[in-house]
Amino acid sequence: MRIIGRLSYDFVDKMGGAMRISIALAVISIASLLYHQGPNWGVEFTGGTEIHIKLAKSLEGEVLKSALAENGFPSESVQRFGLPGDNEHLIQFAPELATFDQISDFQKKLEELFATSENFEGASIQRIDYIGPRVGKELITKALLSILIACVGILAYLVVRFEFGFAVGAVIALIHDTLITVGAISLADKEFTLAIVAALLTVIGYSVNDTIVIFDRIRENMGNFPEKGFRELINDGISQTLSRTLLTAITVFIVLLPLFFLGGSVIHDFAFTLMVGVVIGTYSSIFVASAFVVYWRKRKEAG
Amino acid sequence: MKGVSRLWITVIALFSFLCVILLTPTFMGDKLPSWWGKVFSSKGISLGLDLEGGIFLLLGVETEEGVEQEMLIVEEALVSKFREGRILVKNSSVSDGTLTIGLFPGADMDKALEIARDEFEEVADIGSDGFLVRLSIKSSYVDELEQNSIERVRHIIENRVKDFGLVEPSIQKSGDDRILVQVPGASKKDRQRIVNLIKKTAVLEFKIVRAVGATRENLIAAAEAGTEKQVTEKGLAIHEGDTGNENEKFFLTERLASVTGEYISDARITFDNYGNPAVGFTFRGEGASKFGKLTESNIGERLAIVLDGVIKSAPTIQDKITYQGTITGTFTTEEAKDLALILRSGSLPVPVRVEQERTVGPSLGQDSIEKGRFSMIVGGILVLVFMVFFYRLQGVVANAALVLNILFIMGFLSAFGVTLTLPGIAGLVLTLGMAVDGNIIIFERIKEELVAGKTAVHSIETGYARSVWTILDANVTTLLTALILFWLGTGPVKGFAATLSIGIVSTVFSNLIVARVFTNMLYRDKKLTEVSI
Repeated sequence: MRIIGRLSYDFVDKMGGAMRISIALAVISIASLLYHQGPNWGVEFTGGTEIHIKLAKSLEGEVLKSALAENGFPSESVQRFGLPGDNEHLIQFAPELATFDQISDFQKKLEELFATSENFEGASIQRIDYIGPRVGKELITKALLSILIACVGILAYLVVRFEFGFAVGAVIALIHDTLITVGAISLADKEFTLAIVAALLTVIGYSVNDTIVIFDRIRENMGNFPEKGFRELINDGISQTLSRTLLTAITVFIVLLPLFFLGGSVIHDFAFTLMVGVVIGTYSSIFVASAFVVYWRKRKEAG
Repeated sequence: MKGVSRLWITVIALFSFLCVILLTPTFMGDKLPSWWGKVFSSKGISLGLDLEGGIFLLLGVETEEGVEQEMLIVEEALVSKFREGRILVKNSSVSDGTLTIGLFPGADMDKALEIARDEFEEVADIGSDGFLVRLSIKSSYVDELEQNSIERVRHIIENRVKDFGLVEPSIQKSGDDRILVQVPGASKKDRQRIVNLIKKTAVLEFKIVRAVGATRENLIAAAEAGTEKQVTEKGLAIHEGDTGNENEKFFLTERLASVTGEYISDARITFDNYGNPAVGFTFRGEGASKFGKLTESNIGERLAIVLDGVIKSAPTIQDKITYQGTITGTFTTEEAKDLALILRSGSLPVPVRVEQERTVGPSLGQDSIEKGRFSMIVGGILVLVFMVFFYRLQGVVANAALVLNILFIMGFLSAFGVTLTLPGIAGLVLTLGMAVDGNIIIFERIKEELVAGKTAVHSIETGYARSVWTILDANVTTLLTALILFWLGTGPVKGFAATLSIGIVSTVFSNLIVARVFTNMLYRDKKLTEVSI
C-alpha cells in the first residue's frame, strides 16, 4: 500500500511562501514570549517552592489563588496541570516566602487548610519541590550550554558528512523548531520545566533526524544525476522521501496521542510539547531546511 | 537471496536470552524464586523518584568551612611552635585561606620562617612582609581538603540514611561539591526526620562547667571580661543551655573540648531514672582514657554535654567514668532514637545546606506509573497494528525487530543500572520513533525499487543497502547529541541522554541486522517472486 504515489511537486517553489509562514510563527512565538515575559519558568529554574495539588472538584486558578492568599499563602502563580478533568494545579511560591526550613511548617498549615476549607475539601498535596536559588541558575546555564554544544556537534558532523550549506540548513531548521515549540508552550501558558527541556531535546533529535533523511536522498541524487539542476534535485529528494517523512510523523504521533490523553498529568505537558515538535519538525524538514540549501547554492553559483 | 548468516542468528538469540534474564527481576518483582539471586542479578530497572515517589535531596557541602577549620588548626599549631622556639608572637589572624602572624619587632624572622617551612611547606606558600609571616594555603591542598570533606560527608550521610531503615536509599556525589540523596518510597511523614538526620552536624563535646547564669551578661561578668570576644580570648566560651531548667539558660565553659564525640563507638536509646528517653554511648580506646582523665580530675564539678554548641545536660561528676555515659535532656523517644543514630554515624566535618528538595507523594507516583505504562502499551499496540496494516508481511518483520529492540534496550538499561525517569521515557519515545523510522526508510526504498520494475530479490537487497547510510547518518547525529548531553548534562538531561544513547545503538542494530536477518529467514527457501509489502 502506498500513501503517495509517484509525485513530482515543486517544493522549492513553495519555499518562499513557507518562509512567510515560518516567520509569522516565529514572530507569534517571540511575541508570546515577550507578552508573558519569557517562558513560564518552572520552579526548578527560578528557585522557590512549588506545590502540586490535586483537588476533588474543579476550581478556577484565580479562585484558588485568592483563596490561598486569604489564608496567608500569597502565591506567585497558580497553574492548571494535566487535563482539565484532573483538577490538578501547580502553585509556585517565591523563594522568600518559604525557605527550606519553613516548608514543613508550610505543608502542615496547608493540610490544615485542606481539612477545614470547603473549597479544598478532599484536596491533597501530590508533590513538593524546593529549589535553592543557586541550583536554579546553574540548571538554566547548564541546560542552555548543553543544548548549544549539542548544536555545534551536529553542525560539525554534518559539515563532515555533507556540505556546509546542508549543515547550516539543518541547524536553522532545528532552531526554527525549537523556537516555535517554545512559543507554543508559552501560548498554551504551560510551565517550562525540566521535563519540557527533555521534550525539547527530543524535538531537536527528531528534527535533525528527519532533515538528514531528506538531505541524504538529495545528496545521493546529486551523485547519480549530475546533469540535473539543483532545484530539480532538491524537489526529487523531497518527493522521493515524502511518504517516509509523513509515515514516520504519523507513527510517532500515534504513540504520542495515548500519552497525551491517558498518560496522566505528569506526562501530559510533555506529550503536548512532543506533538507540536513533531508537526513543526516535519514541516521544517520539508520546507525550511532545504530552503537554506537552495539559497546557499544560488549564492555559491553566483560567485 | 543470500543465505541466512548463522553468526547473526546466534548473536541475536544470545542477546535475547541475556536480556530476558536481565529483565526477569523487573517483571517478576517479589515473585522471583529464591535461587535466582544466587545465579543472576536480582536487581531490575529502577524507577526515578519522579515516577515512583519518594524524597530527593540535593545537598551543598560547605567545603570552604573545612578549609577555614584547617587554617585555624594550622594557626594554633604554628603559634605554639613559635612560642616554643621563643619567637615573640604579637597577634595572628586567618582570612580567605591566608594565615597572618604578626611578630614583635626584633623577633627572629629567619627562624620563624624556617619553622613555618619545616612544618607547612607542602600545604602552603610561605612569605614574609616586615614582621608579618604569611601562609597562603595552596590551591592543590584546598582541592584535596574539599574532596576529602565531601567524601567524608557522603559517607556519614550514607550511614545515617541507611541506618534509618528505608528501602534502597541512594547517596551519590553530584557535580563538584554536592551530594544527592534519593530515598524512594519515603512518605511526607518521614521527610522531616530524614532532613533532620542529614542536616545535623552532630558535633558532640564534653566540657567542664565554670559558671551558670540566666543571661549572657551574667556569664561575661563571671568570666571577668567586658565583651563576649574577650571571653573567647580568655579561652572560655558561653553556650546556650537546653536542659529544661529555667535558671540555666547559659553556661560558661572552656573554649576547646578535651573530649569529643569522635571517640564514640556506639550509641543507643536508653531511659533515665524518671523513665524519660535518653541516649547512652560507649567510648573506645583513646576516648575512654581521655574521658577517664577528664572525669577523674573534676569530681564534684559539672560536666556539660554539648551537642552542636547547645548544652543538652550538665550532670555533676560523681566518680571517674571511662567507657560509658548517658545524655539526658528533653528528648522525645523519636528524637533520642535519631540522635543515637547520628552519634553512631559520626559528626559531619563541615555543614551541609539543602539546595533542592523534591517530595513526590506515593499517590502521584502510583498514578504516573500506572497511567504512563497503560498509555505506552496503547501507543505501542497502535504502532504494531499500523505497521502490519501498512507493510503486511514486512510489517510483521519490522514488529518482531521492534519488540526485540525494546527487549534489548530494557535489558541494557537494567544491565547499566540506569534509573528510568520521565525524561528517560522521552529518550525511549524518540528511540522507538527512530526505530520505526528506520524500518519505514527501508520499506519505502524497497517499494520504490519495486515500482521501478526491479525484481523482488533485487529490490530487497537494494532497499537495505541504500538505506544503510541514511540510517547511520540520522542515528550517528543523534547519538553524538546524546553523548554530548550525557557528558555535560545533569539530572534529568543526563537521564534522557543515557536512555537515548543505549536506545540508538540498539535501534541501529535492530534496523540493520535483526530486521535483515528476519527478512532473509522469511524468504530463505522460496524462490522469491513477490514481496509482501
